[in-house]
Amino acid sequence: MVVDTSATEFETQDLLLNVGPQHPSTHGVFRMVLEIDGELVKDLVPYIGYLHRGAEKLCENNDFRQGIGYMDRTEYLAAHNAELSYVMAVEALAEIEVPERAQWIRMILCELNRISSHFMFLGAFGVDVGVFGTPFIYGWRERERIIDLFEEISGDRMMFAYFRAGGLAWEVPLNFPERVREVLESARQGVKDFDGLLTQNEIFIARTKNVGVITADDAIEMGMSGPTIRASGVPLDLRKTEPYLQYDQISFETITADGGDVFDRYLVRLQEISQSIDLIEQCLERLEDGPIMPEKMPRMLRLPEGEVYIRTEAPRGEYGIYMVSKGGNKPHRLKVRSACLSNLQALKQMCVGQYVADAIIVLGSIDIVLSEVDR
Amino acid sequence: MSTDDNAAGTAEEAQVEVVDTFDDTIWDTVNRTLRAVDVRPERSALDLIIHIPHADIIRGLRMLKQDADLQFNYLRCLTAVDNESEGIDVVYQLYSVPKNINLTVKTTLPNENKVIETATTVWKAANWLERETAEMFGVSFSGHPDPRPLLMPEDIDMSDTYPLLKSHPFAEIDVLQGEILGHDRDAEGEG
Repeated sequence: MVVDTSATEFETQDLLLNVGPQHPSTHGVFRMVLEIDGELVKDLVPYIGYLHRGAEKLCENNDFRQGIGYMDRTEYLAAHNAELSYVMAVEALAEIEVPERAQWIRMILCELNRISSHFMFLGAFGVDVGVFGTPFIYGWRERERIIDLFEEISGDRMMFAYFRAGGLAWEVPLNFPERVREVLESARQGVKDFDGLLTQNEIFIARTKNVGVITADDAIEMGMSGPTIRASGVPLDLRKTEPYLQYDQISFETITADGGDVFDRYLVRLQEISQSIDLIEQCLERLEDGPIMPEKMPRMLRLPEGEVYIRTEAPRGEYGIYMVSKGGNKPHRLKVRSACLSNLQALKQMCVGQYVADAIIVLGSIDIVLSEVDR
Repeated sequence: MSTDDNAAGTAEEAQVEVVDTFDDTIWDTVNRTLRAVDVRPERSALDLIIHIPHADIIRGLRMLKQDADLQFNYLRCLTAVDNESEGIDVVYQLYSVPKNINLTVKTTLPNENKVIETATTVWKAANWLERETAEMFGVSFSGHPDPRPLLMPEDIDMSDTYPLLKSHPFAEIDVLQGEILGHDRDAEGEG
């Protein structure tokens, strides 16, 4: 029987639906108000700021060494990458040469952190899509092995504070290369597990293909970065476009996809894990004995006047530090450029016209960390 | 012949020391693009910085975006710096995806009148970044499509001071270790 709905006299009304800030699928304290017509999203208003702690103001009132700890707390799933931007900004202003060994170790740790962060994404994203349990535990299992290694090196599982302006806080343990290879071996198996579980999964593909599409031009216009923009076909990877550390010494290709949908964002991240494994193996081959700090480092850093905008490729995209020094031992101004904040701006564009259930997986596919968004 | 070359080389070096011509940067192209605007170059540790008067800022940014040799189509970051008595700098970090070049654009606003035209008409990415700058520094972006606060609570009164201004007070942190804790413990014992 076909019902002619246009002839009915019922008035329809759009419904406002509040999601969050205390909701598991918002990955933290994120709130959005959806205007829905049946199951379709007509409008979306995001609210952020629930985790704003004034990290920038705190950094401006603490000296250059103390700031490292605050960086961990802005981006807690990839703290090594966050610290890297900060110490590189200090090094650029103070014109400190970092010893080569310290640079290679930094690269290994940052890539390991990328792997752990992406595994965390794969696990949480599986739950968003509705594959409860298995991928979540797989993701946590792989991440846990990497976190254990970080704990052996820095003494902390998440808030490492291991990088210093000039190099590293202390030498890595003697069995570092063997331990890294061990972790990589299991991560390689983890990629295979996820690949078999999700990539060819018919239901998973049906849920994610052609959902939350954003075109390359829009992604550039919105200032997106990281796997989210690469999934739209823009080869924007700071490791390749503006190499820092020793990234110009090793060979790798920027991974892109051209669909710009949720599935491609998943696929780019999965492939980036394999890429990072490959990168770390190249780094381990080049790792040689040597100093990890420059010979003459003052106990208290005092920077000359100047300013610099340092950006590095963190797992979620461009993590930038804009630092202005007016002399003295504290930055005059420190701005953290959050990759998630800019990616999250595009959420409305990606969600309008989709189903409510799809809005959740679109949000999941951006892979937000609210402490980085709010700082 | 070789001595002439050397002489020419040293003469050039001496000239560079006196007047920085920014030959190794994109300054020439930028200056040609912005010939209608009063611009001043400066070096930072990484990128070239240009200063544009605040009245011309959006016109200048749009020219930088549309120029075929520059194509600054990507806004990396937008923020402000409080220089206290010298006013507030609004800072734009630009990037060109097709050309792979970077540029920092700065403009200074006087403390009495912290109003600037919005950059959301040039890049949509400026939207949230400007909302954050507005609530943190009290800079108002005229023509902004959505001028609500971003990170701060909606009901907070920010009419007199803004958190990231240098004049805004910063709470002293209680150090709960070492001598201070020992001192407190003694005081409690006496009480």
